[in-house]
Amino acid sequence: MRLLWGRMVLAFAGLLATLAAARAETPDEALEALLKEARQQCAQPSDRLEKILCGKPMRVGVRDYYPLFGMREGTTHVGYEPDIARTIAQRLGVEIEFTRVNAATRIPMLGEDRIDLVLATMGHTTQRDGQVRFIRPHYYQSETALVGPKALRIGDWNDVATRTICVAVGNVSNAQMVSHNTRLMLFDEAGVLPDRLKDETCTLAAQDDSFFAFYFTDPAFANRFEQKFGFAQVPWGMGVARTGSDKLARALDLLSQIYHRDGTFLQIALKHRIRTVFLEDQQRVWQRPDCNTAQGSTNTACVLPPLNLELKPTSFAGSVNAFEDWIEKRFGVDITLPMLKTESAFSLFLNGMANSLILIAGALTATFVFAIVFGFSLGSDSRLVRWLAWGITMTLQSSPIVLTLVIAAAFAHALLPYSASVALAASILALGLTNGSNAGQAVSEAVISLHHEGGEKGMPLFVHALGRSATSIVAFLVNAAKGTPAASFIGAPELLGALTDVSSFSSGRATIYCLVLIFYTIVVMIVVWACGWLRAWLEGRQVAA
Amino acid sequence: MKLADIWGDYVPALLAGMVTNFEISIIALLLGLVIGFPFAALRFYGGRLSIAFSATVISLMRAAPTFVVMFFLLNVLRDVSVFGVKLAMSGVMTVAVSLVPYSAAYTADAGVEALRQWQRGSHLGALLFLPNITRAFFVIVMASGAAAAIGVPEGISVMVRESALLPTLGDRLVVFAVGIVLFGVPLQLGLALMRYLQRALGRRMVAS
Repeated sequence: MRLLWGRMVLAFAGLLATLAAARAETPDEALEALLKEARQQCAQPSDRLEKILCGKPMRVGVRDYYPLFGMREGTTHVGYEPDIARTIAQRLGVEIEFTRVNAATRIPMLGEDRIDLVLATMGHTTQRDGQVRFIRPHYYQSETALVGPKALRIGDWNDVATRTICVAVGNVSNAQMVSHNTRLMLFDEAGVLPDRLKDETCTLAAQDDSFFAFYFTDPAFANRFEQKFGFAQVPWGMGVARTGSDKLARALDLLSQIYHRDGTFLQIALKHRIRTVFLEDQQRVWQRPDCNTAQGSTNTACVLPPLNLELKPTSFAGSVNAFEDWIEKRFGVDITLPMLKTESAFSLFLNGMANSLILIAGALTATFVFAIVFGFSLGSDSRLVRWLAWGITMTLQSSPIVLTLVIAAAFAHALLPYSASVALAASILALGLTNGSNAGQAVSEAVISLHHEGGEKGMPLFVHALGRSATSIVAFLVNAAKGTPAASFIGAPELLGALTDVSSFSSGRATIYCLVLIFYTIVVMIVVWACGWLRAWLEGRQVAA
Repeated sequence: MKLADIWGDYVPALLAGMVTNFEISIIALLLGLVIGFPFAALRFYGGRLSIAFSATVISLMRAAPTFVVMFFLLNVLRDVSVFGVKLAMSGVMTVAVSLVPYSAAYTADAGVEALRQWQRGSHLGALLFLPNITRAFFVIVMASGAAAAIGVPEGISVMVRESALLPTLGDRLVVFAVGIVLFGVPLQLGLALMRYLQRALGRRMVAS
């Protein structure tokens, strides 16, 4: 009996100890313990948390022109992020001091100890993990929103292929859009995108949903446009310096857990009318017993991973960097070759080059073939064939080449699912028809003039006419080659389009477009030279005939 | 697509966009004349070196594709400063300048021929320069549609925008057909005028 009582007492003591341990593991108690310990270090504060708690103000870097998230009205900082900072300062019982930061300065200012905390729309990426200690759980998550007119039916990526999307250069999701066969129209600043949607320069625009959130609060904008779908989710994290901020980071980790669990973040978000889907989801996560612990912020089942944006470098990226440095040192010219540095960019570059050559060869062949077909048809004895050819020629002459390409793409897209080959074929057809019909007209005029001069008939007459119109044929062949870069407008993945895609997610636009200009100028000059031989051959046949 | 939509909404927008195409073309042609004619004079009156120089420059201008030049100007020149003044241009000006290599090369070629005729004493032959430049102007109008690729609100971008909102190929073809007619009428009239001028000058040349 005594033994039984003894065992029961032991079991009860064990249960009490377990419960006590469990209580100590709540984030609230862990935070209290941490703050208490930090306050005791005021004699010799080392960590930023200790300095803040011992009398120094908490210096917070915030945006001052990011609608809904961080704005400045006079001397007051307003928005979701300044309010989070105030809530934290209030909980810690410390003064707060706001400092304006932007995307370029927020991380260096932490490193230079000019601020203690960054709360400034900073996406948590694997690249930034090496520069900043991110607070987890994240206080927000944005995604890239594809926005367009309500009348436009867009459900998913399949509906977007071959369409043009307006984007800001350097947007982290540009590479993803490129991989879905979209065309990008690049703008230096995201701020112009809503205006370009309103004035209809852009049919679709893609940018962070937190950016568009403000514009959707405008009823006029919200009545015309809607978010079609979102992609490329990025968790936003508060950030502290990687050194001297361990305790501050820990305190903020615990506070973030508590604020998610208790709906504090959610309340602040509702106050500022920003999207709350992520925050509602996070509240459910942080209320779960397995996450609502002192170690929850390190539990991979509870926290979100950072976005991995690192592109795989090419095996020769190092040599490319060395070459760039050498050029700069030797000639003082700052060149950047992003198309050679990452595998995805290099693949786009190689494919673009190959597709350009295919496109040029195809356009030249199609132009020559259509020149013969139209020349033959326009000079035909059959009135029906003649009038039909004349009608098509007039229509093609009246259509700007870009429009002809768009029409060819519309037909191709209606008949076949989009692919690079389909876009290339449509471009070859459009360029061939436009230039071939014009060259064919010159051939038929030569046929008519030779007919009036009498003598030959049938094939010899036609061959003779080809020789007589050789100059015109060659001029339109050169024109066809020069027109090939326009195929990028309908999504043909030639060099101009491919390198525009590369420049949308990397630096070095100046070098890129210099290279494209040099490439096409050389190719066209080669075509001019080769066409000189063709003209000599055709004129030789005329003499022979 | 309803007829009322075409006449009430689309056609006015397209015509307004086409004004931009003509604006671009006039600027490109004027700049082409200013740049091209000195090269023609250099090629015609110059020594061996200056002839070689002007011929090389004209060949390069002739070979430069408008579409690529446009993107080059848009992305490279905007960062260039001359005496502290940024060379960044508006969209319309970017497209107009991108058409200048073609326009200047054409002017130089036609200019050399005009100077040759003038030297031979055929003033009317030299005047054929005018219909040739008229032809170049209409070629430039058609090429100015490239502006749609950089977001300049001209005729082609209006058509592309309208067609993007339509669900069926048939409706889109209506939009394109209206565009072809509106671009085609001034083009064909211009070409007819050019042919008339050429014939009239030709007759007067024969008569004189």
